[in-house]
Amino acid sequence: MRVGQIDRVKRQLLRQAVADNLDTIRGLPPRALRPRRRFVRIFLRRAPLVIIPLILTSLAFLSNTGVTAKAIAPAPGIAAQPRVVHASVAPMLMTDTLPVSASAFPLSVHRVVLDAGHGGTDPGASSTSNVSEKEITLDIQNRLSALLRKNGFEVVVTRSDDRLIPLRERAKLANGSTSDIFVSIHVNSIPHPNNHGVETYYLGPTNDPKLTQLAAAENLTSGYALADLRKLLDRVYADVRRDESQRLATAVQLQLFSGLRGVDPGLENWGVKRAPFIVLVATEMPAILAEVGCLSNDREAEMLRSGAYREQIAQALFHGIHAYASANDAPQKKGT
Amino acid sequence: MSTESEILHVGIDLGTSRSAISASNGERFVVDSFVGWPADMVAKKVLKRDVLIGHEAVTNRTMLDLHRPLERGLLKEGSDKDVEAVRELLKHLLRLVGVANGKVEGANVRAVVGVPAAALRTNKQYLRNSMKGIVDSLMIVSEPFAVAYGLNALLHTMIIDIGAGTTDFCVMKGRYPNEEDQRTLTIAGDSLDAQLLKLIEERYPQANVTVFMVREWKEKHSFVGDPPKRVLVTAPVKGVPTQFDITNEMKTACETLLPPTVETMLDLLSRVEPEFQERVRNNIILSGGGGLIRNLPRTLEEALKQVGGGKVTHMQDPVFVGSDGGLALALDAPDDDWEKLTA
Repeated sequence: MRVGQIDRVKRQLLRQAVADNLDTIRGLPPRALRPRRRFVRIFLRRAPLVIIPLILTSLAFLSNTGVTAKAIAPAPGIAAQPRVVHASVAPMLMTDTLPVSASAFPLSVHRVVLDAGHGGTDPGASSTSNVSEKEITLDIQNRLSALLRKNGFEVVVTRSDDRLIPLRERAKLANGSTSDIFVSIHVNSIPHPNNHGVETYYLGPTNDPKLTQLAAAENLTSGYALADLRKLLDRVYADVRRDESQRLATAVQLQLFSGLRGVDPGLENWGVKRAPFIVLVATEMPAILAEVGCLSNDREAEMLRSGAYREQIAQALFHGIHAYASANDAPQKKGT
Repeated sequence: MSTESEILHVGIDLGTSRSAISASNGERFVVDSFVGWPADMVAKKVLKRDVLIGHEAVTNRTMLDLHRPLERGLLKEGSDKDVEAVRELLKHLLRLVGVANGKVEGANVRAVVGVPAAALRTNKQYLRNSMKGIVDSLMIVSEPFAVAYGLNALLHTMIIDIGAGTTDFCVMKGRYPNEEDQRTLTIAGDSLDAQLLKLIEERYPQANVTVFMVREWKEKHSFVGDPPKRVLVTAPVKGVPTQFDITNEMKTACETLLPPTVETMLDLLSRVEPEFQERVRNNIILSGGGGLIRNLPRTLEEALKQVGGGKVTHMQDPVFVGSDGGLALALDAPDDDWEKLTA
């Protein structure tokens, strides 16, 4: 390269290096990973200039002509779909005859993905009395699913029977379902059989070798290549999803511990932790992994055999999800 | 705005094992990336210091709460002590270049810091946060990019930077390297040390060997392929200094680097536009301490024969090549860019 050419290339490289640093300061993902949605961005930036005056005009028109919400309710015979509507915007939306999807409001929790850990040829942890993690997680998932549905949430499950679904497939299913949160249910097994407790994870790096080992064990059936994982990690470590996941984990852990301590006074609170579990890395919504018990403790393993205790766990998980959803301007439930 | 005389530009290669600094006042230093605090009051009294850094920390490690704050070339996240350690390390590096001129105090310090090619955004943000109050402006770049910039190897070049924590690859295509142009392997000097220690312990279980001794032996005797000479080292057995032949162990440990390095090198080459592949193959530069492994360039050239051959050269003095590149970037960046990059 000639001297002049070197200088020109250097200037260009410097400009790009500075731009990359400014992106880091602003918390933006790497340019290569950013979707090129220039027109969408322009539209979103300019849309309020058009939409807000239109809405204000419509409201003024409706109040002048005396049209009420009742007058534009669906005609008799057309069954209204149970939809979730953000409370604070409901009055404005009443002017529209179309039902409104909660998915329009990213902070509302409308659809929940439940992921029963392990399955099929992967039993997960086992107790000395041969109770397997895969069976417990599926049962708790079914119980939790029923509770959520009863309370107006939509539920998507990653497995509904005893089969092995690779972690990559689980994440793909969750992402394809446009759900709002992802809750993976697992049961722990630790080297100290006298201890037992509950803990909830959200995505993040960890320095704890024990957690790295646990994540490695849970990630065995990931189906991801290392290069894919790197891209996934870069996408999520800096984004807002991490904070949301932490809030969800905190809400669930609080309810798990307080809800189960009553029936099991020896239960320990191992808290909210960060770990790079694949299902948390690859999902695109706030995501947590709850270790709802400990099969290495014989006493708890015995409790985990009982339907009543599993129901308690499902209730605790439900209350945690509900608390998180409520804090996020929770959806109005059916019949309210 | 500060005047030119009040500005100190520095390039820093923040390494897992060693950290180097090159400053615009002509000063250059390298220190071991270790920071230690006296373990108790007795140690504090003996050492007469609050904190020890670099070689001094390693030498007195038995009396210290010793930290190596960088892991795989990145600041360990989640450990307050390691954050404090990296801040101490950076302050120490700056003090070294400032003391000679008495310039750090009151000067506007603009730093370019090299990190592994595959460092995540969050790692960079974390590093940025930990450097608050230490420098005035900060630019973080990938380490192999800094090396390439310093060598003016900006086009049709591949840099392979073998450090302690990571081996970084970067193909320079005349643009700021993106994910596709770079790779980071965690097989590097540290993993080689661990492997060598394991092999020595297996063969000579009676020998009392530490990772620090192994690192020193590796730096003196590392090689791949045919041994240039027997590798004889001395280690205590029940307190008695005893000589051991670790030639085979050294060869086996060093050669663990080869398969992933060759595979990654060929993979990156295959992604270069076909008309430029030959030029890149003939411009492969080895940097970092690992670049000094004997016979490594020749062995990589052997591997390149399967894709048409190529030329691999290594830096004779790899210690400052990253920090010098960082300094070149720091000096070339215009003032208005630096003002946007306030730490």
